[in-house]
Amino acid sequence: MEPAAGFVGFFEELGPREHEPLLGKVTSRVRFDLVEDGRPDRWLVSVDKGSITVLQKGGPADCTVRADLALFERLCRGEENALAAVLRGALVCSGDVELLFAIQRIFPGPPRERRLQHGVRSSR
Amino acid sequence: MTENQVKILEGNTFVVSDGRGDIEASRTDPTGLFSFDTRFLSIWVLTINGERLTPLSVDDLQYFETRFFLVPGTGTVYVDAKLSVIRQRSVGNGFHEELTILNHDDKAVELLIRLDAGCDFADLFEVKDALKKKGAYATRLEHGRLVLSYRRETFSRSTTISSSQPCTLDEHGLTFRVELGPHGSWSTGLDVVTAVLGAGDGGEEGPSLAWQARRLPTNMARNLERWLDQAPRLECDWEPLKTTYRRSLVDLAALRFSPISAGRHSLPAAGLPWFMTMFGRDSILTSLQALPFAPELAATTLRELGLRQGTRVDDFRDEDPGRILHEMRYGELTAFEERPHSPYYGCADATPLFVVLLDEYERWTGDIRLVRELELEARAALRWIDEYADLQGNGYVAYQRRNEETGLENQCWKDSWDSISYRDGTLPGFPRATCELQGYAYDAKVRGARLARLAWDDPTWAESLERQAADLKRRFNRDFWVEEGEYFAIALDADGRRVDSLTSNNGHLLWSGIVDTAKAAAVVQQLMSDRLFSGWGVRTLAVGDGRYNPIGYHVGTIWPFDNSFIAWGLRRYGFKAEAARVAAGILEAAEFFDGRLPEAFGGYPRSMTKYPVQYPTACSPQAWSTGAPLLLLRTMLGLEPVGEHLLVDPALPGTIGRLELLDIPGRWDRVDAFARGRVETSRPDPDH
Repeated sequence: MEPAAGFVGFFEELGPREHEPLLGKVTSRVRFDLVEDGRPDRWLVSVDKGSITVLQKGGPADCTVRADLALFERLCRGEENALAAVLRGALVCSGDVELLFAIQRIFPGPPRERRLQHGVRSSR
Repeated sequence: MTENQVKILEGNTFVVSDGRGDIEASRTDPTGLFSFDTRFLSIWVLTINGERLTPLSVDDLQYFETRFFLVPGTGTVYVDAKLSVIRQRSVGNGFHEELTILNHDDKAVELLIRLDAGCDFADLFEVKDALKKKGAYATRLEHGRLVLSYRRETFSRSTTISSSQPCTLDEHGLTFRVELGPHGSWSTGLDVVTAVLGAGDGGEEGPSLAWQARRLPTNMARNLERWLDQAPRLECDWEPLKTTYRRSLVDLAALRFSPISAGRHSLPAAGLPWFMTMFGRDSILTSLQALPFAPELAATTLRELGLRQGTRVDDFRDEDPGRILHEMRYGELTAFEERPHSPYYGCADATPLFVVLLDEYERWTGDIRLVRELELEARAALRWIDEYADLQGNGYVAYQRRNEETGLENQCWKDSWDSISYRDGTLPGFPRATCELQGYAYDAKVRGARLARLAWDDPTWAESLERQAADLKRRFNRDFWVEEGEYFAIALDADGRRVDSLTSNNGHLLWSGIVDTAKAAAVVQQLMSDRLFSGWGVRTLAVGDGRYNPIGYHVGTIWPFDNSFIAWGLRRYGFKAEAARVAAGILEAAEFFDGRLPEAFGGYPRSMTKYPVQYPTACSPQAWSTGAPLLLLRTMLGLEPVGEHLLVDPALPGTIGRLELLDIPGRWDRVDAFARGRVETSRPDPDH
């Protein structure tokens, strides 16, 4: 598997969509620096009112998000929460932080291990 | 030492110290310098020649600034006042302390001045629950500064302490050797700076999260002045109301909180100092209360909650698509997912209330742009009601936590363990469909329909929402009505049975408009009966019900915020005199607390105690208690936006006399409201 496959695959899957409603208000560039063996692999995700394009390149962006590649792959699988990772310092966000809040909405939810058993009967 | 604690704050940075300005926190003692839910200083003790000091007085200059006047020694017999010590402290990015020592003697003195410093970097949750730390501490002396730090994997927090005057540094503090001439003085500036650092975050790449956490607040004194200037002016014959009004405005200023993403805009946090963070319910209800006074709070609340609206199904966080958050936290336990507050969504009322606030905000301000901007969020919130909240499968909003370890059991405003009970005191199982949630859902649908026509160009959906609302109202008035008592049950249990205690929630139902007009008079009679109305306000639970306790948190105490919404509900159904009685009771109680209403006070009958008995809580002021007098002013004056105009229809307690509220902001620009007190509310003479 080529590096960043999970990450790029995630965005490429979004790409063909005409419009991602959760990003409908966003027109910005977010650069993801995927760090592996200490070296960043740079990806520029451009959002234009919900339409997404992904290019493997560096350059200026409105918001830069930097973390280990492994963490990004977990984010794309829903195994990691972006905001907790920011608080932990595992994901470092520079620039317009609001963009990170916006873009993290498109990551999937965690795999559900168990279903809630509905209905706890009253004690009387 | 709780009695003598001094608290100052700015945003979510605050200092809690003793009356000398000292901090000596233990693992569980809640003093210290806190920022982003982390303690950045747990020891800060001043000694002079090895002696602790004694406070003479403390001046609370502003909510962000205080001054301690001290003398050396802790002698119990007399104070040797040859020296005065002044510590003036203001909160910003950490805190700044100006330490001044005055020699009143005509002889020179040699002083060994020592400040002990240390930090445990506890998470607020750890302070509450006394948990053990998992990371490593380090202390360094560098470039004349003392740096205390803590690291756990990539999580890193540090505190840097420096002085403007030369000193000797060691790992446990700062020492000054000073010779002070006759009548001489000496002073130094001490800076305690907090830092939130992530992996590889050197700050060189422009504004980062850490950098934004370091933002220096703008001129705080001028900011407060401008805030007070922009609020409507109140003139009144009854002096205590003026005091309460001013107190509310200043406290609301202190409670403003700017989330990192909001730039310079702010929204109301829940309570000071422990709840200086975004809470869905508290921020929304306080914004509603403050709408006629500071409508910009509502705009920020809506934007920031919208930005953090749930998008996935996450059992740990009790998150669903469309759900509005309950609480956001920034500390270590949240960072390592040992607590779900990143953010936590376990709250069943904030989502419908989000739509209610959006509509009410537009009615006051005419800001249709924000309504258009938040269309997607409002639609998702309304969809949540139908698709995710119907846990009993009967078309009612209900809650049951999916995070059974650290999630919340009761996801309504009465969130303590025993708040929802049958008349006989037994507790229902889960899911629980509490009654006020149905009222909020009804109101959200009705208001959502108005917005769909006005701003979203979707009359078909508006009609469908209205049909749903009408159906909900019809079913609710049948299923929740307790026939023998003539009031609404507090909830339906999982078997569809009425949880039949008599509670203040009936007032919220009036506010929402879900009550059949034919039933309103009976409901009002219950609210104003001796079982619920104490003379000061409406109790959370009625006297005579199984769990009633006049000092039980949600089972007998009186909550000023609750009463402000009850008064609004009474007005909505035309019960003006009753609304005035509730307003009079709560505002008269405020006088006993110097204008700062507590979160709750005892449910004892007014005729018995003559004064309201405060319920002890850790946070004061509380945002929605601060907002209560504001909403009560609105209800007494009968302020109601109608089209482009503000309708004024006062029903004022006779005890208030003349009342003028000038320059009320809104879509009408600024208007004035005048009233004269005519409603007999029979305030008993406190001397008899």
